[in-house]
This record gives sequence, C-alpha cells and structure tokens, in this order.
Amino acid sequence: MRPPQPTGGWPARLAIARRDLVEFVRDRRALFITLVMPMAMYPLLALSSTLGLRTAMVELDRRQESRRLDVAFSGADAAALAARLGSLADRAEGRPEAWPEEVTGRVVDPATAQTLIDEGAADAWIDVPGGSLATLDGAETLPLAVRLSTVRQPDRRVKESLLAVMRSLADDVRRARLRRVGLPASLIEPLRLDFSGDAPPSPAAAVRDILPAITSAVLVLLALLTATGAFYPAIDAIAGEKERGTIETLLIAPCPMFDVVVGKFLAVFAVTLATLAANAISIALTSSVLGRFLPGGIASDLHVGDLLACGLLTLVAYGGLAAVAAALCLTVTAAAKSAKEAQNTLTPVVMLIAALAGAALVPGVEAHRWLPAVPFAGHVAVAKSLLATFTGSAGDDRSSGHAAQTAAHVPWAVAISLVSSLAITWLLLRVTAQLVGDEEILFRGPEEATRGLGRPAPRGMPTVWQGGGLVALGFAALWYAQGLAPPDFVPALIVQQAVAVLAPLAAFAWWQRVDARETFALRRPGSTWPRALAAVAGGALVGGGLFVVGAAVALAAWRGEVSAEAKQFASQLVELIRGGTLVPAVLLLAVMPAVCEELFFRGWVLSACAGPRPAPRRAALAIVAQAAAFAAFHLLPERMPQTFALGLVLGWLTLTTRSILPAIVAHAAHNATPVLLVALASEAELASSVQGEGGLPPGSVAVAVGCLAVGAALVAFARRTRDPDSEDS
Amino acid sequence: MIEVRELVKEYRAGGGRAVRAVDGVSFTVADGEMVGLLGGNGAGKTTTMRIVATLLAPTAGVVRVAGHDVRTDPIGVRRSLGYVSATTGVPDRLTPREVLDSSGRLHGLDRRRLAERIDSLSASLDLASFLDRPCGRLSSGQRQRVSLARALVHDPPVLVLDEPTSTLDIVGARHLFEVLEQLRADGRTILLSTHRLHEIEHRCDRFVVIDAGRIVADGTRAELVGGRPGGLEEAFFATIAGGSA
Repeated sequence: MRPPQPTGGWPARLAIARRDLVEFVRDRRALFITLVMPMAMYPLLALSSTLGLRTAMVELDRRQESRRLDVAFSGADAAALAARLGSLADRAEGRPEAWPEEVTGRVVDPATAQTLIDEGAADAWIDVPGGSLATLDGAETLPLAVRLSTVRQPDRRVKESLLAVMRSLADDVRRARLRRVGLPASLIEPLRLDFSGDAPPSPAAAVRDILPAITSAVLVLLALLTATGAFYPAIDAIAGEKERGTIETLLIAPCPMFDVVVGKFLAVFAVTLATLAANAISIALTSSVLGRFLPGGIASDLHVGDLLACGLLTLVAYGGLAAVAAALCLTVTAAAKSAKEAQNTLTPVVMLIAALAGAALVPGVEAHRWLPAVPFAGHVAVAKSLLATFTGSAGDDRSSGHAAQTAAHVPWAVAISLVSSLAITWLLLRVTAQLVGDEEILFRGPEEATRGLGRPAPRGMPTVWQGGGLVALGFAALWYAQGLAPPDFVPALIVQQAVAVLAPLAAFAWWQRVDARETFALRRPGSTWPRALAAVAGGALVGGGLFVVGAAVALAAWRGEVSAEAKQFASQLVELIRGGTLVPAVLLLAVMPAVCEELFFRGWVLSACAGPRPAPRRAALAIVAQAAAFAAFHLLPERMPQTFALGLVLGWLTLTTRSILPAIVAHAAHNATPVLLVALASEAELASSVQGEGGLPPGSVAVAVGCLAVGAALVAFARRTRDPDSEDS
Repeated sequence: MIEVRELVKEYRAGGGRAVRAVDGVSFTVADGEMVGLLGGNGAGKTTTMRIVATLLAPTAGVVRVAGHDVRTDPIGVRRSLGYVSATTGVPDRLTPREVLDSSGRLHGLDRRRLAERIDSLSASLDLASFLDRPCGRLSSGQRQRVSLARALVHDPPVLVLDEPTSTLDIVGARHLFEVLEQLRADGRTILLSTHRLHEIEHRCDRFVVIDAGRIVADGTRAELVGGRPGGLEEAFFATIAGGSA
C-alpha cells in the first residue's frame, strides 16, 4: 500500500480517451460504418448522379443543335406566305435569339397537314386562307390559326422559334406599310441593341450556375454525416458501458465526473473529426473525378489542389461542428440505459441537426451577423463563406466585389463560430456530467426510460414537458393543416382550428388523463356572480382595447410595408366580412378561435408551465412562454408582436381570475373588433387598410386606452376574492 | 477502516414515492479485517456497498473509508478503495494489460510504477497466460481475476467486493478467496457480500447480516452461530425476518 497519487485533470482525461479510442478502433463494424462507408458512398452517389446529369446534358446539346423548325402550310395563300418566310430566313441580320437554325416550309393540303402534325412529321401547321397576303399588304390584322404538334419536340422551343419567325414577318410587314405611307422605318424602331461578347448558354455554364446550390446541399449533407460519425462512439461511450456493466468501475475513478466525461468526449470528438476528414477528402476527390465526366470544360475548373484546399477549409469550418455534435450525442445518450435506447434517443437529434443545417440555406438567413453562433446552421454558413472567399479569390472578376465583402466577414464568422462551439460544447459536457452521475438515471430500471410515453394515472395538471409536447404537436399539425386545408378561406379556417388546435389538444387530454377543470381553469372567474360578471366585462374591454392599441402601434411600425401574405390575409378577411352577414363572421373569426386557442394555450400550455398555485416568478415565466408559443403559432411575422402582447394579457387574465372565461371573452372581443370596424368602414378605407396604409377611426386609440384601463380595473375588482378553492363550490 | 454510521438511503419510486432501501445501518470494518455482508435479494447489501464505493450518495448518516468521508471527500475515498462489482466490469475489446494500464493511469501511477504493479499483480493473480488476450475471450474466472487486479492496481488499503463469486465456479471461487486471504494477511481491509454463505463461513473475521434495510446481526461466526446446529446458514435464516428457519 502506498500514499495516494495526484489524480484527475488532463492525464485522467487522456487515459479515458485513449481507452475508449482503442475500444472503438477494435470494433471493426462501427469503424467500417463510421469511416470507410463515406469513402465508398460519395463515389457511388456521384457515379449515379453523373450518369443522369451527363445524359441530361447530352440531350441538352442535342436539342441545342437540332433547332430546326418544320412548318406545314395549307390554304389558298400557303405558297405565297411560305415564300415570304423563306425570303426572311435567307436574311441573316436582325434575327431574334430564338431564331431556328433552319426553317422548312411545306405547302400541303389540309388533310396532309393534319397527318403531318398528328404523326409529328411537322412542328406546326398554319392554315393560310385566300386573301391573307392582300391583308398583310393592306392595313388590316391577319388572323392565323397555328396548330402545334404534340408529338414532335414537346417543349416551348418550337413555339418560341415560330414566334421569332412570325415576329420577323410582322416587322417586315410593318416596315412595308410605313414605306407605303412615306414614313421612315425608324418610327417603329426607336432603339436597336447590338450585343457583343455575349455567348450562347452552354451546358458547362449551366453546370457552373448550379454549382453553388450543389455546394450548399453537399455542405448540409456533410454536416449531417459528420454528426452521424459521433453516433456510434457516443452510444458506446456511456450507454454501451452501462450495458456491458463497465460503467461502475469507471465512475469510481479518483477524478471529478467532468474529467470522465471530457475523456469520453475527446474519444468521440476524435472519431467525429476522422469521419469529417474521411467525408471531406472523399468529396474533394469525387468532385475531381466527377469533373472529368462532365462535358464542356468543367474539368478545367476543378483542380485537385483547389478541391483539397476546399476540403481543408471545410475541415476548419466544421471542427466546431464536430465538437458540438460529439458533445450533443454524448449528452443525449447519457441518460440511456442500453445501446438500443441510446439509438432511439439519437434519432430526433438527426432531425434537429438536419433542420438547423438546412436553415443556413434559407435566403436572407445566411447573411445574418450572428448566424455563425448558431450550431450547425452557423457551421454551414461559415463553410460557405470560406469556400466563397477561396473560390472568389481564384480570379472571378465579376464577383470580386462580393468576394471582398465575404472575405472581410469571414474572420469574424470563424471566430464567432469557434467561440460559440466551445461554449456550447462545454455546457453540453457539464450537463452530461450531471446526467452520468445522476443515480436515478444510473441505477434506474429499464421501464423508466419510456415511462413518459405511457398513459399515466389520472392527475391534476400536465407537466412542463407535456406542455411543450402539445405545442410541438400543434406546430406539426399546423404544418400539415396547410396541406389539408381547402383553398377557400372559411373552410381553411375551420380545418386549421380543428387539425392544428382541437385534435392535438383532444389527443393530449385523453392520453394524459388530466383533471379538465384544473387544467383548463373551468371555474367561475370570481367569488361572487357580480365579481364574475366584472371579470368577463373587464376581459371584453381589455380584448377590444388591446386590438385597437396594437393595430395603431403596428400601423405606425409598418408604414405600409407589409408582406404579400399579410395583404392576402387582410383581403380575405375583408372579403369574408363584407361578403356575408355579420354574425357568421363573428362566430368564425372571433368565437371559434377564442374558444379553441384559449383551451390550447391558456388552458393546457399555461397550466403545464405554471403548475398549481405558481410563485410570481414561475407565473411570469409561464405567461411569457405560452405567449411566445401563441405568437409563433400565428406564423405571419407582422402579427407576432400583437399576438405576443395578446398572449401576455390573456395569460395574466387567466392566472389572475383562475378562470379561462375572461380570456375567452377577451380573445373573442379582440378578434371581433376588426370585424366590426371592417363592417362599418367605407370601401376606400378598406382598400387602403388592406395595403397596410390605412388608419384607425379618429379618437379610437383614446377610447381603446380607456377600455384597457376600465377593463383592468374590473379584473382587479374581480380578483379580490377569499380562498380561491372555497369559492369553486 | 470502513465506518458506517446510521446510514439511510431513500429512492424515488413511481409517483414520487420515497422507498427506504437502507434504514439506519451502522457497522465498522477494522484495518486488516475481512467482513462478510450477508442478506437476501433486496436486503440493501448492494446499495450499502455502492454508497461505500461513492457510486450512490447517502440520504443520511456517515460513511468513512480510510478516514475519508464519502460526502465531503469522494475522491479521497476512491483513491483508498478498490471496488469489484458483481458484473466483472471488464471491457471485452481491451486486454487485461490495457485494463490495468488504463486504471493505473486514472489513479495517477507513472509508467515505471505501473509496469511494476502490472508485473506484480500478474504474478500474484496468475494473469500472465492471458495478459495480452482480449477480455471478451476470457473465462468468467479469468475475467474476475482481471477485475480484482484492476481494483488492486493502485494498491488501495480497502477492498469492497459485491458478490465477487456470483459468476465463478467452485474452483474459481476457492482461488479468489485464497487471494483475498492473502490480501487480508497483507493488512488490507475487506468488505464483501455474497449469497454463498458456505464459501465465506470460515474465511471472514466477522459477519454483518442485513434484512429489509436494517442490521439484524453483527458478530463473529461463533457469536452468530452460538450453539445452534447447522452452522452459519441456519444462523442467517434464524436472524432474518420471515426466514424459513
């Protein structure tokens, strides 16, 4: 026996990392899936996609080359018109871009023309009745029936070519008519453009045009595959140790739990980095090979050295991604008891990473200054910036301005991304250390992991998790409701409320067996009937007043700049209110959403967040949380500030009166106010309101502020009750 | 020395209900003593040993190992203690040498000292023939010897063994106890639990019998058995509540 040695710190972390890495490397199957698969996957993907792309480009070339126009003419003046067109085709100057390589005109009888068109032997058939040439040479308009072949070259090119030819004929006729009346041709040709240096679009240029989009998609794919590199080692690191019964001996190592977790993280991070490198190298080499398969000089643009440099830059940008992914996978699997359970918990992580990485490609998002701080989305954006800077400096003069701008932004973006990645990784490792050391997790039974998915015993209120679960389900249902909803506004509103609000709420209420009265605050809003009436009247005044004040603020903030979606929504509302009677409009726009959404947000979500008898701080947090969800649920950014404010007020009303009724009345009054304003407004006022340019009736804001004050006073009066439970009976 | 005083451990069961797994347990294991912790399934043996090994935190009470308190100085406890679990806890893909190397590094041993310890343990526990073979290919007895070697790699004064013979055959169990007796002779403090009373009846200095989370007997074999025929097993059944004896 000997005195204890100093333990913990980096020696312990490295010892654990080394141990885990050796174990991982000896697991040949995991090693193959994590590191070797990517090397084989990209060539296979590239091969299949290149074959398709090459076929498409060859077809494009063929079409480019075979721009012939074959027209059948019938009728008494067919030969004369065909001759006029023939003389036009011989002239080289002044041809529009869509002019065909060769024009063939055949004069046939109508029956033959019909056969030619039906069999695809001609592109178009023009019937030219007698007197057509005389009309052209006169001053009238000549109507011509043109029938296109649906068999031959079923694309827009034939029509464009024919239009180009016939427009040239029309120009020729116009000039002749002007000459006849002694006017110069320049009268109808005030401007002529002579282009130089303009090359016709080539397949290679087309590929170059779509390269940025391909690069973005590959970066998202790389982010996802890099993260999946963390899966196997993360599962093995903690859940695997639990399954094999080796975790206990590690947990009694004489070092803090954080050191154990950091050691495990280093092993997972190393494998994730190796996966990233394998993917990046495979992509670079595959791109280099891919270039040789593509026609039209693409290969000359794709140098192996440049591609490897791009791979290296991506490694720099994705180093932080690998760290965050490794830490995230460790955190998620830390609570799992077995490898299978860990795999199940990692599945949603894939969706999260895919969603975040894909968000970086949303137009407008990538330019945001703080985007690099967002995990996965930021990493993709930084990688794009780095690659753009590198390729921009490779000599593209046209994009030099943009490249310089991007280059100036890159060091900041890289720094933000690295700092953010470090901070997020550190936080995740701290959480992991807590989870690994949590004896409830460490020594729980296997049924505990899925206990939350079972149908629980009847109880009072939902938990915070179940509140969040309903919101998530509601958002998913809202997404699908957009697809299910009919095009008409009224049925769409009903379907949306039924699918996105009522159905998820009913499912959760049945599943969780909560006390409906407690959860949805189904009580009288005051100790006495007068107080209850005061609460309801107060709610109505607050709701109506809040709409007017919110609308005044929104109109001042927008200054007429509203999205097309908001304008469309406003015009649909106006059409509904003005087109029908008032009562159905109020029921549909005010009462129905008030009841459904109040049960959802101020019922389930608020009670889940606040719990029974919440302390002031928790109540405030709960009100803010449910108001944020309520605002987000309304999708249109222009409406979010107002719906957020409404959500705050309705949450306060519900918790203050301990009843959902004032909130329902306030919500209904809030929505009914614009219905009444629209019903009373003139057509001119409505037209400007729909465009976001109109104003509110004079004095309405003052009245609304008064309503808010009186309403708040009435609610405060109703609130002065004795023991809230005793009045329930 | 191991000192356990008024130890209480509560778990949260379904519905947030608290279940008391260990209820006011007190006992000591003196330096150089080998004590057997006896009890049926669910009696509280493993919970007590996990608390001693700092894997679980006590709800109440005091537990000290070699003078270190499990609450205030868990790192000190871990440095002074070697722990062998019922599942041998050796990774399949590592060799015994790598297991010992990794454990030694975690305990801060330098390379020279680590090599000495691996040689010494290899000789004393007879590991030499499979020292570089992956643990996944070893027999249960060999794996348990590796587990014991890992618990001893940092040369701790205290050993805690939770049902160390549960996966061993009679030959492996006898060999293990011979090693434990040698370790006791070297001055180590040993606390072990087992269901196989006959294996430890004549090897432990004292026995602590635990039932439903409470100590129901604590003494030497002679004190527990007294004049009762049937030896330690009969004495055990006589002491635990609801026993068949």
